[in-house]
Amino acid sequence: MLSITNARKRFGTVTAVDGVSFVARDGAITGLLGPNGAGKTTTLRMLYAVLRPDSGEIRVDDVDAVTAPQEAQAKLGVLPDGFGLYPRLTAREHLDYFGALQGIEPGRLASRTEELIDLLDMRGIADRRTAGFSHGERTKVALARTLVHEPQNVLLDEPTNGLDVMSTRAVRAIVRRLRDEGRCVLFSSHVMQEVSALCDSIVVIAFGRVVAQGTPDELRRQTGHDTLEDAFVALAGLDGEARE
Amino acid sequence: MIPGRTLRQAIVVARKELKDSCRDRRALWSIVFSVVVGPILVGIMVNRLADRQRDADVLRIPIVGTSRAPALVHWLNQQSGVSVVEAPADAEKAVRDRREAVIVVVPDDFADRFRASRPAPLQVVADSSRTDVQPSVQRVRDLLQQYGAEIGSLRLIMRGVSPAAMQPIALEQIEVSTAQQRAAQILTFIPMFIMVAGFVGGMQIATDSTAGERERGSLEPLLVNPAPRVALVAGKWMAAALAAIVSVCLTTLLCAVLTRMLTLEDIGLRLQIGVEHLGPILLAVAPLCLFTAALQAAVATLARSFKEAQTYMGVLILAPMLPGILSALYPLGKAPWMSAVPMLGPYVLLTDIIGGQPPNAAAFAASAATCLAASALLIRLTTGLFRSERIIFGR
Repeated sequence: MLSITNARKRFGTVTAVDGVSFVARDGAITGLLGPNGAGKTTTLRMLYAVLRPDSGEIRVDDVDAVTAPQEAQAKLGVLPDGFGLYPRLTAREHLDYFGALQGIEPGRLASRTEELIDLLDMRGIADRRTAGFSHGERTKVALARTLVHEPQNVLLDEPTNGLDVMSTRAVRAIVRRLRDEGRCVLFSSHVMQEVSALCDSIVVIAFGRVVAQGTPDELRRQTGHDTLEDAFVALAGLDGEARE
Repeated sequence: MIPGRTLRQAIVVARKELKDSCRDRRALWSIVFSVVVGPILVGIMVNRLADRQRDADVLRIPIVGTSRAPALVHWLNQQSGVSVVEAPADAEKAVRDRREAVIVVVPDDFADRFRASRPAPLQVVADSSRTDVQPSVQRVRDLLQQYGAEIGSLRLIMRGVSPAAMQPIALEQIEVSTAQQRAAQILTFIPMFIMVAGFVGGMQIATDSTAGERERGSLEPLLVNPAPRVALVAGKWMAAALAAIVSVCLTTLLCAVLTRMLTLEDIGLRLQIGVEHLGPILLAVAPLCLFTAALQAAVATLARSFKEAQTYMGVLILAPMLPGILSALYPLGKAPWMSAVPMLGPYVLLTDIIGGQPPNAAAFAASAATCLAASALLIRLTTGLFRSERIIFGR
């Protein structure tokens, strides 16, 4: 479970996150929805403890992520924005590296690696260097690396961005599977269809604030719009721009 | 955090960085190139120097007008390693065209003036702008002067005067440097090349694993692992330092092979780098490698981009060259405090080891202590930078 309470973060004179609060529960997919520049990535970065909030509280399960970042990170699997793979390492070596850093003992790591290679259908690319990989293949490697230590909480920053249909489906299947295993999945997107197709709960974020949260149905009711897209536009305060 | 776990994580990072950089062909070749080229250049230079010195040992003296000074020619031919040959007619042209290094001309009036005990002229035709033939020219002048002095002494004796009256001063030069030291002086570049090899060897990993990692976007996923920042920094540092030490070993072995191939004893240079030197050399340079790797990692982390980091490295590489350059310009002398200066300490140690004067344990300890202390400081600094949000996400 992830919870963030009243978190604020400023960069110089820009307030990126201005008092964000929400909870992402176990066994549920929570979507963080917002236009580009709304503060999604900054919020996620505070959740996975590479940014320290100026104020506010962040908890991963029962761990305070602000005061004990590494303990919190041990309970997290994170797919950051831009995958950051090593072009000269093979897919398998990526799992080896991060698995070893997580402290998984070698025997267990080897079997877990095989498991993930099968799960993500990476047999054909497992022992190739990632330098020439397609976007879909890179996503698979990054996702496998995120899950190598079987984290209870999974944070995915725009995982389906720029993916083709088949790869998007594969990612969705994995995300659902993680939920069914009882894990807490939080994923960000600026794409409406993505979120409505997948999420049990949605947090809409705009200008660094949470402007609405609830199930897709609740959001529709709340705004009086029939489609989620209209609801989103209204919530994000974009309707003024859209009319112009 | 248990230090044991931190150390294990650091080793995981170091192994990955070494594997990664071993696959970077271009970087690997640039290291091999810079490690190999230095010693080979020195080898070629020293070999040429030795060849020239050997050439000077068998001195061919072309003389114009041998028939005008048969006694001189006879005397010269009797000196060891000297042979007189007939010179081409146009002596000045032959020297100018570099067909001959030096030619002695015996003018027409030589015999008459010699017989009359008046100064008899001899001309030495040489090109003083050619530094490579200076030893030959100097030897010819010395021989002619020696001949003149002998004739002068004989004339004084014939007139009943002791030749000692002509020698108010007996000049004697006492050489205190051993042959090994003289050789080390000539080969001051070897310590410099060893130190530069250490610097270049670690450079690639130090920059690629810090500035490069950030630029590729792989730093953020790495930082999400539950590893203390000091484990990540230490791992990258260990990998860079290890690569540096391997480069030092390569250069040293290459120098050993080269000095064995060049037989320098016959020209009075005794210089051998053998297997027995490898231990002391490593003991002197390994702490330096730890220090330079830490310095490179800190500077590269501070740089805004990979390119900027590379530019800084180009400037930093002057640091390990500085003691060598300085000592070539003016003698550094020798003082105990030198061991405690990061770049100078290892340089002084290396010069002594290669010069055949094993330094004492205190000098080794002082040099290692300063290098290690500086490394520790720099790693703390870099760890701090790895915690800074401005550094992690760029500016």
